[in-house]
Amino acid sequence: MSTRRQFLRDSAGALIVAWRWSGVPLSAFAPATDTALEPNAYLRVDGSGEVTLWVTRLEMGQGVRTLLPTILAEELGADWSKVRIEQASPGGRFKGIELHTSGSGSSSGAYRRLRTSAAAARDMLIAAAAKAWSVETASCRAERGWIVHEPSGRRRSFGSLAASASKQPVPEQPRLKDPASFTLLGKPMKRVDGPAIVTGRAIYGIDVRVPGMLFASIERAPTLGGALVRFDADAALRVPGVRHVVPVTRGILPGVAVVADDNWSALRGRAALTIEWASRPGPPFESEQYLAALPSACDRATFKVRHEGDAIAAMEAAASHYDASYLFPFQAHAPMEPMNCTADVRADRAEIWAPTQTDVRTIAQIVKVTGLPESAVTLHCVMMGGGFGRRLFADYAAEAVEISKAIVRPVQVTWTREDDMRCGYFQPATAERFTAGFDAAGALTALIHKTTASDLTIYDIHDGRNIWTAPPKPARGADDYEKDQSPWGAYDTPYEFPALRVDCADVTSAVPVGPWRAVEYPSTVFARESFLDEIAHRTGRDPIAFRLDLLPRDSRKVGPYTIDRARLARVLEQARERTGWSTPASARPGRRSGRGVAANVYHAGSYLAMVAEVSVADDLSDLRVHRLTTVVDCGIALNPLGVIGQTESGITWGLTAALLGKIDFKADAPVQKNFSDYHVMRIGQMPELDTVLLDSGASPGGFGEHPVPLVAPAIANALFAATGIRVRQLPLRLNQRPA
Amino acid sequence: MAAFTIIVNGTTHRVDADPAMPLLWVLRDRLNLTGTKYGCGAGACGACTVLQGDRAIRSCTMTLAAAAGQSFTTIEGLSPRGTDPCQRAWIDEDVAQCGYCQPGMIITAAALLRANASPTAADIDTAFAGHICRCGTYTRLRAAVHRAAEYSK
Repeated sequence: MSTRRQFLRDSAGALIVAWRWSGVPLSAFAPATDTALEPNAYLRVDGSGEVTLWVTRLEMGQGVRTLLPTILAEELGADWSKVRIEQASPGGRFKGIELHTSGSGSSSGAYRRLRTSAAAARDMLIAAAAKAWSVETASCRAERGWIVHEPSGRRRSFGSLAASASKQPVPEQPRLKDPASFTLLGKPMKRVDGPAIVTGRAIYGIDVRVPGMLFASIERAPTLGGALVRFDADAALRVPGVRHVVPVTRGILPGVAVVADDNWSALRGRAALTIEWASRPGPPFESEQYLAALPSACDRATFKVRHEGDAIAAMEAAASHYDASYLFPFQAHAPMEPMNCTADVRADRAEIWAPTQTDVRTIAQIVKVTGLPESAVTLHCVMMGGGFGRRLFADYAAEAVEISKAIVRPVQVTWTREDDMRCGYFQPATAERFTAGFDAAGALTALIHKTTASDLTIYDIHDGRNIWTAPPKPARGADDYEKDQSPWGAYDTPYEFPALRVDCADVTSAVPVGPWRAVEYPSTVFARESFLDEIAHRTGRDPIAFRLDLLPRDSRKVGPYTIDRARLARVLEQARERTGWSTPASARPGRRSGRGVAANVYHAGSYLAMVAEVSVADDLSDLRVHRLTTVVDCGIALNPLGVIGQTESGITWGLTAALLGKIDFKADAPVQKNFSDYHVMRIGQMPELDTVLLDSGASPGGFGEHPVPLVAPAIANALFAATGIRVRQLPLRLNQRPA
Repeated sequence: MAAFTIIVNGTTHRVDADPAMPLLWVLRDRLNLTGTKYGCGAGACGACTVLQGDRAIRSCTMTLAAAAGQSFTTIEGLSPRGTDPCQRAWIDEDVAQCGYCQPGMIITAAALLRANASPTAADIDTAFAGHICRCGTYTRLRAAVHRAAEYSK
């Protein structure tokens, strides 16, 4: 079982280009032929000159299928217009390389690893050419598919050198290109899948078609922890097109699957099922009560997250105090493509097509459900219509495998939107409490942050637990959170306080939880950036100047992180300048306008500041966000077009959380059922987005989740500036009682 | 079960199915045209949008019986090689992220431009009000529609 930190690292970066290197030595890969050059699993140069680049991550919209080959092509010196891009599948050529796509903070290592792999091939091509020409390798370079001997101008194509290059020793530490000479990285690169997407040819999980396959829909227990008592399949089996009705036990909730010739027949059959369900013991879960009680859980925050100085003594000595609590609700992932999986399980083998972020966990589930050895399992990782963390769970694959095993035919299980929204691993509801101490002159002397965190592994089906009946996991150790560097945003707060104490309370509920885009940052940063705004206003300080004063312009080690606070100060200053911060927000007749700011550092790799401009009607109705200015320093922007797209994507996600999204539970069931009542951002609600990339030249940081946490506090702070009303609960509502 | 005739991308198909089967599932499961996506089944997200004549409709809420005898264009039929102005503009603006909702968006863009050669930003917002993109491609989508309008001139 993974540790919490491992799980979070694996889980977090739903849209981050970053991963954990699995440690396969460059020379371990055994090439298939001796006419092609393939010193490692990532690429091949054929005798024909064809260059194949494998994508060893999984695509869910974040652009890995474009970026990773660009990195390889850059360092190899390939002709981008002629490369062939192939999706890696688990095992075989990629044995030992995890395709699992998520994680964060390690992108610089990955970036180097791919570059090193391609540089090794390039140096072998150069060595072969230099040998053929009897010249120094230093006088040769790779350029758009050719090796060029500079002094003589002689050229040989990659293809003509492939065979002889393959006999050169694989360099263990090839020299990497000077980034100043990059011709692909740093340039705007369009998505390689664009043409397939716009013509409808792109194949997502739900589009997989296998000869002889049937379609299934599953009616699952209607309540959290519900159990199947009995079912009557007669009426369902009489629906034309229905072939089988089978119970399902391997998913998030027990259910009954109706298998038919097409999706519609399966849905009709499902509607005809008669099922008796049992509820779990104990009082049913009600989120309203749970949220009302959640801030008091902060009182039980005893797990150490980060302690600097003696904040308790400083607080006792303080001349005055101020405290506030904040609430973040349950949230759904709701990717546009609902969960689905296609499975063909036979007695001696299993072939699975899954839109998944995790080859590792999916294979583990297939092996568990089929009882087959891993060597008998073939998993095709297909394109995802969004992931956002939901597809780090393999429950939907386990169900498909179970059904196919039962009927001994290929089957595709497609969840309805209602299934997808109801049977989620939700973003946990969270409470945060901040207390500030001030001296007699009103200067800040101490900050105490008490947060709540839910164990995101507790509802993981992968360790074989029934999530509602299993005994609780052993209590966490007093310093486990600190060791895990979590919760994110609480542990790695970038600001310098005279004394700081961050503690955490474990909270659990009947709601299955999992990582959601940006994991814990959305809650911790909403609270922290709101609270800093509150104390800036209370002490008569400008909110940006107040933050800048908390940022010494140096690098600060926090556990494994080196936080360069000068970079955060710089994005704040740029945001201040770009928005005309010192001038009043635009006047709008009949409305009150204001600006608010938020800042954050994502895993010490990406530094952001955001300014929101909002207005509210004079009667305090109709909150509108007019403009979001976001200044991003995520180090080298490897593909600026991709970085800006992902930044806008994260902002839109954050807007949904700030203004619209939440999942309520009544009587052990989610209230929201579809996009008609789980509201998400639509085009007409979008503010103007002004996104600025500040290229600091530093190692690349993550750039998919990074803007999510800033949106809600920037808007809440702007709302306060406009109205004097402080809203401490998401989604932001003007008629809320203070938390 | 009953037999119906529908015309999709210029080809006439005879479909023997439940009259209540949504056109979406007819397209995907019977005609193997998987470019049209399932997103919500309730007409609330726009992923399943196809053209009925020149009009964008939600194929998840139109029954086979209602579709009978009508002519539809799906993303596969919009242009043989992705050369429709909307498809070209989508590529040039690099709109798609996960891309799942984009066929429906492109169909709506095509319908909008057939009715309105020079849509304003407000026209675009109205036309796309029934669409959802969880990746948040809305700003590039707007730019792509404006660009497609230029390409169409």
